[in-house]
Amino acid sequence: MSNRFLGNTEMNEPTPQPTRRSFLDWVIGLFSAVTVGAMTIPALAYFWPAAKGGKGGDVEVKEAANLKPGESAIVQLQGKAAIVRRDASGLVAYSAVCTHLGCLVKWDGARKEFLCPCHAAVFDASGRVVSGPAPAPLPAYKVKEVSGKVFVSTT
Amino acid sequence: MALKHSVSGFLADRYDMETATGFLRKQAGKRLPPHTSWLHVFGSLSLLLFISQTITGIMLLIYYRPTPDEAHKSIQYITAEVNYGWLYRQIHAWGATLMILAVVLHMTRTYFFGAYKKPRELTWVSGVLIFIVTITFGFTGYLLPWNQIAFWATTVGTESANKIPIIGEWLRYFIRGGDVVTGETLSRFFVVHVIILPWALTGLIAVHLFLMRATNLATLEPVGEEKPIEPKHGIPFFPVHVCKESIVAVLLLAVLVTLSVLAPWEIGEPADPLVTPEHIKPEWYFLPSYQLLKYFEGPYGAFFGIVACSVPFLLLFLWPFLDRGKHRHPKKRPIAVGIGLVGLIGALVLGYLGHVSETEQTFFGTRYHIDHYGVPHRVADKSRDEGE
Ligand code: HEM
Ligand code: FES
Repeated sequence: MSNRFLGNTEMNEPTPQPTRRSFLDWVIGLFSAVTVGAMTIPALAYFWPAAKGGKGGDVEVKEAANLKPGESAIVQLQGKAAIVRRDASGLVAYSAVCTHLGCLVKWDGARKEFLCPCHAAVFDASGRVVSGPAPAPLPAYKVKEVSGKVFVSTT
Repeated sequence: MALKHSVSGFLADRYDMETATGFLRKQAGKRLPPHTSWLHVFGSLSLLLFISQTITGIMLLIYYRPTPDEAHKSIQYITAEVNYGWLYRQIHAWGATLMILAVVLHMTRTYFFGAYKKPRELTWVSGVLIFIVTITFGFTGYLLPWNQIAFWATTVGTESANKIPIIGEWLRYFIRGGDVVTGETLSRFFVVHVIILPWALTGLIAVHLFLMRATNLATLEPVGEEKPIEPKHGIPFFPVHVCKESIVAVLLLAVLVTLSVLAPWEIGEPADPLVTPEHIKPEWYFLPSYQLLKYFEGPYGAFFGIVACSVPFLLLFLWPFLDRGKHRHPKKRPIAVGIGLVGLIGALVLGYLGHVSETEQTFFGTRYHIDHYGVPHRVADKSRDEGE
């Protein structure tokens, strides 16, 4: 054992067997890894945004109750922007978040299209892509009118 | 004099001052390569701007409040009520732009002088990290005034993360602290801007300067043939180079104050999550990527767009290991110089197209509407077909 430190030149040692020292190194390494892991995992979880608000379901949209045919309103549905408008057949609602890079589209009543101010995506009245860079249609939301109150469901 | 003596006597009685002063003297007297010129000041200029940003940033922090309700108002308060508040806000906002410019110029200089080659590869790599941290400083700071343009530019910017395959959605949620940009996003950007990045950059600069001193500045001799700099030919760091740097520092101060007075940054309208304004564009240093992304459309377009925007950064990191040529002198490296020029001019052209896109410009007396892709269309004499 000690010949390494005392400079003994005898080189024909057998291949190293686990010694008390290397076993201890191993145990210390394991414990350090467990300690670091036990500290890191909750810390990483801490940075993950805490979920907020209800998930889906009907949300009452007060701004939509008085819409006349042809009019539209932009509203917040559980943190997500949506456009509710009344056309000939009744109220319809679409996500207002452009599927390109997240700007809010506007309803152009004259052209009967949704226009995005950011990179000029155009969607038709039922949310389908007409032109521009948007990769997907605007999702439609279900609308219910119950005794004068308007409910929109995002699920 | 007496005071100075008693202080140095006090210290010398207790510490080994010879070693400390010897070290400082050696650093100050170090000889720089004979070609060291005014082009070599951009590194210290970047450092100076970082120090200025730190000081003005801490000053702004005294009155700034990082919440959606108060952020915009607190900036208005700083500008309108606080003594010289407008000045320090302007110096911080202009300093950010100049700092990014200084870092880019510094990288350009070291690139064309072949200073990234062996043995200075890691100095270059640490420099690329500094560049990325500096841009991130700009991105996070931009949101802090919580105005319309910043809110929506951040919405679009963080939405791009969503296009990264597999981890994209996860990443966007994490950066925003939720599905959309809210006060959670502001908190996150604030902490990153004023705590995490300043310390990260301090550490990176320490490593960068240590590596720079350990290998000294590169001469123009080929790799492996660098001779030690002879005191006769070398340029003394102190006083010659320090003098150039001081002149630049004074000029910088003048430029900062002039810009702050003559071309102040506006505060803008407070953020409104229900109204996207027309023509939102990112800061100038993001314009090349902003424009490049536009050319990638369709279902996989965004993905390839992200790839196209990341490749230049990857190349920057790997460049010292890809370019194995021995020569440093720009005249002897036509290919590397060519690639550098193409990259630089490409970024400038893309940035310019991004800047003029969706505006009207006059070239040679004719009015053009520049579309989304940067293609000019002649404007008919009758006013545009759409109102407003
Ligand atoms: C190192 C310490 C720093 C601190 C403590 C700090 C702090 C702040 C604070 C409190 C604000 C909000 C006030 C305002 O918007 O005017 C701000 C804004 C900003 N910061 Fe920093 N900052 C630091 C460094 C930097 C650096 C290095 C850069 C860029 C390279 C930068 C870029 C910006 C930008 C672009 C703004 C928005 C300016 C505006 O529109 O008013 N900051 N910073
Ligand atoms: S975000 Fe709507 S077109 Fe780009």
